Amino acid sequence: MPKATRKLFGSVFFYLLVIAIFIYLMFPFYWALISALKPESELIRTPATFFPEQITLINFEAVLSNPRFLRSILNSVIVASLATLLSLLVGSFAGFALGKMRFRGRTPTMYAILAMTMFPQVAVLSGLFAVITVLQLPVMMSLVLSYLIFTLPFTVWVMTSFFRGLPVDLLQAAQVDGASFMQTFWHVLLPLTAPALVTTGLLAFIGAWNEYLFALTFTATQPQHQTVPVAIASLSGQFAMQEPVGEIMAGALIVTVPLVILVLIFQGRIVEGLTAGAVKG
Amino acid sequence: MVQTPTGAGKQKGISNLAQAEERTAWWLLLPSLIVLVAIAIYPLGRVFYSSFTNERFASPGHRTEYVGFSNYLTLLTLTIRAIPYEIDPATGERIYQNPRLFLRRLDTPRPFDQVRTFELFGTRYVLGATNARFVNAVIDTLVFTVANVTFTTLLGLIVALTLATKFFGRNAMRTAMLVPWAIITVVSALIWEWMFKSNRSGFFNALFDHLNWADGNIGFLTEPLLQLPSVIIMDVWKTTPFMALLLLAGLSTIPNELYEAAEVDGASKIKRFFSITLPLLMPTLAVALVFRTLDALKVFDLFQVVFGERRYSMASFAQDMLISNRDVGLSSAASVVIFLAIFIFAIFYIRLLGVERNA
Repeated sequence: MPKATRKLFGSVFFYLLVIAIFIYLMFPFYWALISALKPESELIRTPATFFPEQITLINFEAVLSNPRFLRSILNSVIVASLATLLSLLVGSFAGFALGKMRFRGRTPTMYAILAMTMFPQVAVLSGLFAVITVLQLPVMMSLVLSYLIFTLPFTVWVMTSFFRGLPVDLLQAAQVDGASFMQTFWHVLLPLTAPALVTTGLLAFIGAWNEYLFALTFTATQPQHQTVPVAIASLSGQFAMQEPVGEIMAGALIVTVPLVILVLIFQGRIVEGLTAGAVKG
Repeated sequence: MVQTPTGAGKQKGISNLAQAEERTAWWLLLPSLIVLVAIAIYPLGRVFYSSFTNERFASPGHRTEYVGFSNYLTLLTLTIRAIPYEIDPATGERIYQNPRLFLRRLDTPRPFDQVRTFELFGTRYVLGATNARFVNAVIDTLVFTVANVTFTTLLGLIVALTLATKFFGRNAMRTAMLVPWAIITVVSALIWEWMFKSNRSGFFNALFDHLNWADGNIGFLTEPLLQLPSVIIMDVWKTTPFMALLLLAGLSTIPNELYEAAEVDGASKIKRFFSITLPLLMPTLAVALVFRTLDALKVFDLFQVVFGERRYSMASFAQDMLISNRDVGLSSAASVVIFLAIFIFAIFYIRLLGVERNA
């Protein structure tokens, strides 16, 4: 085979592979979309149609007029935002201390934080549940606090490495100028680490938005506080006879859109945050 | 060197400064430490404690008592027995007793339940456990983890190697990869559950029917043998992008000169992969494997959504014991088992692969 032909075959094969990967990644969304757009009669038809014959928005209307679903979006936004802000606030203090200051016990603390990032949440489930019941904490608040279990160690870990990467001269210059630690922190370091805060915050938010174990357990008796994952999983249970597949798919797409937008805007940052620590540059 | 008064004063000043820095550092760490103690360390201690009791919640009139290792024994007592049989005089074939009834008749202090039967050297055995659901959950979680990590790594490597070359639309592909990663696990489970529907209104059955591969009524999520492979397929789809992104980042740190030099030396593509790419990718691969394994061992969302109480992962078993059975003691013991399993895996992995994260 001449070299040019071989090269052509090579690149055709390459693009076929790229297209195959793309279809593999995207197909479930396509299926969810066409299922959400099909009317009930077409949804239950066998065999399923691969392209919708009729398009309707009735499933979207139904799920968007479901008060429990709408409430769950609000709950999720509140819980995920608060958990993110709280862990950024508390975690950047700790990250600064670990990344830029010298003190005894620094290394063991680092190891403890690293170990915490691998912590299985289910290990504390019954203990947290008992604490919440005894203290009678409101559900939303207990969700925010319990989400810190995974957002906080992660934030501390990432912020530590970002702070460490900052030049020491800046810090010293500020100290020579007579600035206190707090002043240095707020006026010099925090503005410089804003990009890191955005990255960490995004990952913490996505983690909290997706969380299911705590949300399912702590809202078991109080459905009005359900977050999105719990509400969408229980859509199927609301009507005994027929599973409202169209509505579930419509709801699935609605709650995925914000994430897709975040991913589109912050793609580079998310990848950076995900791979931080995993790859030694 | 002669110590002048000023020198001493200066040194004292430095040590004061160092002390002040140390104090400030701990003050800055304090909020995080308080939070982590309150939401992780203390509850973990409480879980350990209640795993040795028969604590229940929302059960009036129930007295919590110390029960020693009873919960652990319930979860982890196993037995393997050869199943008794008679020989059918007419055909000469073995007629085995019903393994379930056989285990019941053993008259042990804790009755055994059948986990599964298997044949070894022509004899049929039964694996029994005092809590078959938990033992099954452990087996399922381990199978799920091994399969998931294997397939995710292989697929992730293919995707990463593909995306490592520059081509038109590469950025769009990277975005497309992030979407399965970012999507709520419950949501992806619901979408896949619908695609795996057991009649031809589901995608896979419609497709297989269309291609004449099957009759279109495969119970992907109801047939016991197909249940695990199906959820593994779901999870591989969801987690491959993460693996691929990590490996892609690892690939980008390999200097191009190495490949150029190898090409000059006439090394084939396959040779280049095994002598340059793979060894240099090892550290990244190791970290990615640790992340994936620990994550897969914790699996909860997928099993809870798809199987509910029909089939458990370790985590969904612990959660269900707590919420449906209100059995805090047993749930806690299961949690401790998961915690220890993950702890041991983490140490084992870090030792084996020599992962060093700059601390």
